[in-house]
Amino acid sequence: MTPADVVLEVTDLSVAFPTEDGVVRAVSGLSYQARLGRTLAIVGESGSGKSVAGMAVLGLHDPRRTRTTGSIRLEGEEVVGASEWTLQALRSTTAAMVFQDPMSSLHPFHRVGRQVAEAYLAHHSVSKAVAHQRAVEMLDRVGIPNPHRRANQFPHEFSGGMRQRAMIALGLVNNPRLLIADEPTTALDVTVQAQILDLLGDLRREFGSAVILITHDLAVVAETADDLLVMYAGRAVEQGPAREVLSRPSHPYTEALLRSIPSPSEDAAQLRPIRGAPPSLLTPPPGCSFHPRCAFSDGMGAVCRTDAPAWRPTPGVVNRHLRCHLADPVAAIEIAGGAR
Amino acid sequence: MSETSPLLRVTGLVRHFPFREMQGLRMTTATVKAVDGIDFSVRAGRTLGIVGESGCGKSTTARLLTRLDEPTGGRIEFRGRDISHVGESQLRSFRRDVQMVFQDPYSSLNPRHTVGSILRTPLRVHGLHPGREKARVRELLELVGLGPEHANRYPSEFSGGQRQRIGIARALAVEPRLIVADEPVSALDVSIQAQVMNLLATLRTELGLAFVLVAHDLGVVRHFCDEVAVMHLGKVVEHGERRQIYAAPVHPYTQALLSAAPDINVVRGAAPRERIRLVGDVPSPIDPPSGCHFRTRCWKVREVCHRQEPPLVSVEPVGPPAPPGSGPHRHACHFPEVRSRVVAQPPAGAGPRRP
Repeated sequence: MTPADVVLEVTDLSVAFPTEDGVVRAVSGLSYQARLGRTLAIVGESGSGKSVAGMAVLGLHDPRRTRTTGSIRLEGEEVVGASEWTLQALRSTTAAMVFQDPMSSLHPFHRVGRQVAEAYLAHHSVSKAVAHQRAVEMLDRVGIPNPHRRANQFPHEFSGGMRQRAMIALGLVNNPRLLIADEPTTALDVTVQAQILDLLGDLRREFGSAVILITHDLAVVAETADDLLVMYAGRAVEQGPAREVLSRPSHPYTEALLRSIPSPSEDAAQLRPIRGAPPSLLTPPPGCSFHPRCAFSDGMGAVCRTDAPAWRPTPGVVNRHLRCHLADPVAAIEIAGGAR
Repeated sequence: MSETSPLLRVTGLVRHFPFREMQGLRMTTATVKAVDGIDFSVRAGRTLGIVGESGCGKSTTARLLTRLDEPTGGRIEFRGRDISHVGESQLRSFRRDVQMVFQDPYSSLNPRHTVGSILRTPLRVHGLHPGREKARVRELLELVGLGPEHANRYPSEFSGGQRQRIGIARALAVEPRLIVADEPVSALDVSIQAQVMNLLATLRTELGLAFVLVAHDLGVVRHFCDEVAVMHLGKVVEHGERRQIYAAPVHPYTQALLSAAPDINVVRGAAPRERIRLVGDVPSPIDPPSGCHFRTRCWKVREVCHRQEPPLVSVEPVGPPAPPGSGPHRHACHFPEVRSRVVAQPPAGAGPRRP
């Protein structure tokens, strides 16, 4: 039974790309939900599968080159295996996506207003004038000054921050119930990043939609997200309310990442890096894919090297899940933290 | 040469890039004022961080300091010698003392050369360790945490973090006194950044290196630097000891930058910070605003800010006392005011993160 505020329900999703060198298992056994009025952050490093998982929600992978299994239900409608016709109807009215690089996602030869208006026209039987009016309203809504004049300009006449605002206007023009933002501020300066993150928060409150924020930056998550899903090597490793996960991590990877980030609000004598490097998705390590880098695996015997841990409720806390063999990971991490 | 005189001194440094553009049907010449009169110095063994948004001139400054680019005006003195305009032959000795680490570990290593050959080249150019280059290459690889077996491989066989280590080894080959690092970790994965930062910190201590670190990440700069210079549109707007800048910034731009920087500590019981949100974008360095370049985004702007550019002047130290021997805290604002709550205040003992 799915509660009414669940817009997106992903169950046991796997996405694999057959290549000449072998099969790249970009996403394996991923399950999560996105709820109305909440921001879910999906965090991971490059190659963690976070973007591939995000694109799968809109059916953006070429079915001829991708093997997608499992289920993705958008407002009850199945996306995996859906026809292009069904996907077209879902895109932008039910779910829309904002990409990292707005310069390559906007058409360089078309005026910004026209691009926003076209997205509206694709799903509404209105005149071009009405659609243009709607586009100007949206540009105004996302904080673009002089929206009437700006609507008639081309993307190259916009600054990076303004382009990202235009992309958000394009994403929201059909009032989607779910907005997926893939590294929306990575290319921007910090003062502009703060503006865009505020804007996403305001719009989420105003429209009551669900937001999925895909990012590599845990500090951005700390500032903006309600819920958090941490991915490593194509798998979810930890999930729960963002504040709780970040203040009391239960997975050794989350904990290690948190220890390795310098903060602008404290003098840290020494950072504690994670040993090694992220694994290749062509030849992931056996057992738990994090075990070669994990500070706890040495004390666990062979199990981390041989058995892939199951996705299970985190012991001792509510509303959280993880994928780790540690019997009581929250306590283990706190004890280890105290000893260090 | 006395202990207190700086290793590197920069006075009135200017780099303008002229370019031609069409204005209607006429060709006109315009100028990008990338670096527009900056002063600072770096003493031996110290680390200066340069922060600012894209287009503020921080990378151009890095290229000028290493003389990969020639300044349009001003002076760069290294150990008392003016090297701002010296020719190739004199640059050679300068390059033994000052080396650069680049942002992109992919494009800054020649893909057709083995790692050994990449590291031998600076030794050959400077005639160092004749006859024992191979041993020196091994030492260098060890110094940056790689093994001797890596010397025969090509850059493409390494991960980003390993490549950055190779770039660092190449910079160290000539035993420099100063390393200029332009965003050395921003292209790396989060879990790898700390490895490279720690390596740089260890090398700094072991070899007594001075650093100029150009970075946009205010956490990285706080972690690594003794001093911080904040740049905005080709100018230094605030400069001081790390503690002065983070605990008692006086320039509104510094305050806005710090307030906007995302901080992991907000979920760890840190006292919330003052929220400053700038409106609008960075003005163009081709046609900067009159007077104070920050006035278009500043909430304190008054008439004088339109007319007069504020000079960089010293402030009386406030907040925690600066360590002995530290430089003055300088700012360029008509209406300076200390705001110490623009960064979060971590709770005492800061939780389980840093015991």
